[in-house]
Amino acid sequence: MKTRVTAFILAWLFPIFGNAWADVSPDANVVVRPTTAFSSGVVYDWFYLSFQLIQQTPGFSPPVAARALGYMGLTLYESVVPGMPGYQSLAGQLNDLSSLPWAQPNEPLHWPTVANASMATMTRMMFSNASAENKARIDLLERSLPLKYPQDFDPNTVTADITNRSETFGKLMAMAIMTWARTDGGHEAWGPIRRSQENYVPPSGPGKWSATPPAFAVPLLPYWGRNRPFVLSSGSDCPAPPPPSYSEEVNSDFYKNGIEVYRISNAATQEQRQFALYWADDAGKTPTPAGHWAYLTNDLLRSQKANLGTAAITFARLNMAMSDSFIAAWNTKYSLNVIRPVTYVQLVIDSNWVPTLIPTPPFPDYPSGHSVQSSAASEVLGSSFGANTPFVDNTHNDRGWGPRTFKNFKVAADEAAISRLYAGIHYRFASDGGKPQGQCVAQKVMALQFKAK
Amino acid sequence: MDSPSLVIPHFVEETDAAGLQSRFEGQDEFAVGGGVATFDCDGDGLPEVYVTGGVNKAKFYRNKSSRGGPIKLEEQRSGLEVTNATGAYPIDIDGDGNVDLVVLRVGEIEVFRGLGQCKFERANAKWNIPATNLWHTAFSATWEKGQSMPTLAFGTYYDRTRSDFPWGTCTPGMLLRPDSTNMRYATPEPLAPGYCALSMLFSDWSRSGQASLRVANDREYYKGGQEQLWSVAPGEPAKQYTLDDGWKRLQVWGMGIASHDVDGDGYPEVFITSMADNKFQKLEGNPSRPTYIDQAYKRGITAHRPYVGGDIHPSTAWHAQFADVNNDGRFDLFVVKGNVSSMPDFAMLDPNNLLLQEPDGRFTEVGQQAGIASFKRGRGGMLVDLNGDGLLDMLVVNRQDKAQLWRNLGAGAGDKTVPIGHWIQLRLLQIGGNRDAIGAWVEVDLGDRVLREELTIGGGHASGKLGWMHFGLGALKNAKVRVQWPHGDWSEWHIVEADSFYIVNQENGLQQWRAP
Repeated sequence: MKTRVTAFILAWLFPIFGNAWADVSPDANVVVRPTTAFSSGVVYDWFYLSFQLIQQTPGFSPPVAARALGYMGLTLYESVVPGMPGYQSLAGQLNDLSSLPWAQPNEPLHWPTVANASMATMTRMMFSNASAENKARIDLLERSLPLKYPQDFDPNTVTADITNRSETFGKLMAMAIMTWARTDGGHEAWGPIRRSQENYVPPSGPGKWSATPPAFAVPLLPYWGRNRPFVLSSGSDCPAPPPPSYSEEVNSDFYKNGIEVYRISNAATQEQRQFALYWADDAGKTPTPAGHWAYLTNDLLRSQKANLGTAAITFARLNMAMSDSFIAAWNTKYSLNVIRPVTYVQLVIDSNWVPTLIPTPPFPDYPSGHSVQSSAASEVLGSSFGANTPFVDNTHNDRGWGPRTFKNFKVAADEAAISRLYAGIHYRFASDGGKPQGQCVAQKVMALQFKAK
Repeated sequence: MDSPSLVIPHFVEETDAAGLQSRFEGQDEFAVGGGVATFDCDGDGLPEVYVTGGVNKAKFYRNKSSRGGPIKLEEQRSGLEVTNATGAYPIDIDGDGNVDLVVLRVGEIEVFRGLGQCKFERANAKWNIPATNLWHTAFSATWEKGQSMPTLAFGTYYDRTRSDFPWGTCTPGMLLRPDSTNMRYATPEPLAPGYCALSMLFSDWSRSGQASLRVANDREYYKGGQEQLWSVAPGEPAKQYTLDDGWKRLQVWGMGIASHDVDGDGYPEVFITSMADNKFQKLEGNPSRPTYIDQAYKRGITAHRPYVGGDIHPSTAWHAQFADVNNDGRFDLFVVKGNVSSMPDFAMLDPNNLLLQEPDGRFTEVGQQAGIASFKRGRGGMLVDLNGDGLLDMLVVNRQDKAQLWRNLGAGAGDKTVPIGHWIQLRLLQIGGNRDAIGAWVEVDLGDRVLREELTIGGGHASGKLGWMHFGLGALKNAKVRVQWPHGDWSEWHIVEADSFYIVNQENGLQQWRAP
């Protein structure tokens, strides 16, 4: 029985391929359905598991988590794009990625099976240091999804040949992308790279960052800004505007920003304190900032009953943008090495002051990574769903902080950015300066040609 | 369920009893390779065995088996004892009638010249083999038209100097062609780009009289990596077939090649081993264009998951070989399996496959019933008649474990052999440098169908053989045989008696060979 193709799908199919994809496969005598004919159920479950893995796997700091999500989003898209007539692989548009495995045109594939296999394989490789329990969760999810989504995995429409071939194609795609991923400078940042960078010595001088109380931890991933981005030509491709010149003069912009942090964080309202905690998205306790945005996107796709193709495009764009945002932010952070408010305030204003809500993260101040990444995410999501799309954020329901409804993505991004000032860990100029940087990253990601010309 | 007509051979492991004691060991640089070579260097008609050991010393075993009896191997000094060996292919490079041996290594290639009576000397300098410190992983050879020395092709894996970063660093292969003296090799010609070749095979896929080089590649998908087919025309640089030529891009984790005219259409099909499902490629339509379709599923040889042991993960396949293990006149398929190391996405309990071809052209897995379902990390292997009884025995090299040997008892049990079909074994002999007539096609007419085999050097996974060509005859007491000589014409048809050895001499015709 041929699948009923919706008007939306037809709009995708007809421009180039007409209705050829709803035709009968010549060698398997089965109806070949395009990617868009399937639900995004598989996608939802894999990303949902990834949020748990980010939270529970050692070393998944915000940049590392964003990178993992970036590769997962790309893997998903590349594994199902052969089933999306009118769309194309991003190979040739991303740095150092000249080609990826291709599906043989005369060998039908079943896209949910491809997606399940590719996501399982990529998840295993990205979280290779996950606990045994979580590794078992990955195996279990891979096996259970065909049962959980019978409408997508109808055995009457998929032969063993197609299933086998689809699993192989998915694994091949994941491993090909992983091979490329290993060359970006961020591979296994949860362990070996992090250890190898512990002897980094930050530059010293007036206004320069130094380790912060209370832990005085070594700087986190000081070379992350040199990683190969997905889309940006390099980590410096989207610079943030220059911060105010360092000064301890009371009339200087820098001093005004410093004392603002001191005053606001000391007198934060209950709402401001809630914002600070809500967007903190600390590693080890939450899915991290990138996971937060991916989480709300996952829910939004589900609530809109998005198909597999739409989910794949959305996550590829969003997650690559967030990953590149962290590279851009880290590049600027470790280029300018701006002193953190806690250090500045203790030096100039109040030697006993420390932020009370959140400990200062162990890396330079400017710009706010949250601001860069949230701004990029909101730009991409606004482009994908519409700038005024309201959404419900369930990320922190388990902590009793949700669900929260936002009017649109920009409202959420602005709240995330300013929350760092409320928390006492960033200057206002760091929150403001991160926004254009994030927008620049988003624009470059949105310029990718997903549609074939 | 087994077909009622299927005759399953019984194998008994004789590794220890035969005296085979070899382990292929080493860390990352020995994750691939692990080959075995078989060849007769003492003229008794029984193949000797050379087993690579990785960081261990490679071992040469003289075959001391009694015909039809248990297999006996005796380790001897031969001059072939080298470390870092990953693969080996026998070949008579100088056409002197003494088999030579190409040893692939992590590091310099070593080419040994046979001196007779299973003694060898290093001949790199004599033949001008370049001193390359690469990770050599694939080999094949052909005699180009007009040449008395073979053209040698070598494949390599990734850059050894980048062991800390083994991605995106596959090194090119190389082609060695004879220089104008026809006694040494000229400056190597690069086979670039290289995509980490794990198997190579010169084969005349279009029956044009000129072999092309098929390469199974393991890596660099994000840089355009794919399976390759190179045109190697005399006097011209090697040239890759492209989409315009009809070549369809294919990406698998290419690890091994088996090539055989399985369906009797006169053209070789190609089985490519990989991770998960394997490919069985058949020429599609016009045989002058290298356009292949996959028929692995249609024929039941995807061999993509373990068939016993309970591990549900996909398999990892390495050596592959078509040969008739039950002498029913149909080529069967042998596949060696084993996890790369402990890759979680792939089976750890991954038994070797023995897939018997049935009359309808489909294959049925009988590895467990045949007794060869080993769960070690297999790599190279060989089906070869080690005791001259017409039944193909089995060798497997395992990573970080001992090599294994099984004797084929036919329908027998315990250690008693009972024949399960008739057979013949042939060797070809011609004048000139290519004495063993590599590149020849042999046809065996069984009455209702013709078996057809191309005599090649290369392919499999790091494992080669030179010696008797084996054909099962089923119930036939005799058959007709003819040979198409390399770059030449067909011989006349010869009548051969079953269960016999023959030498087909280009000058003198058919001669029965009897064991000394």
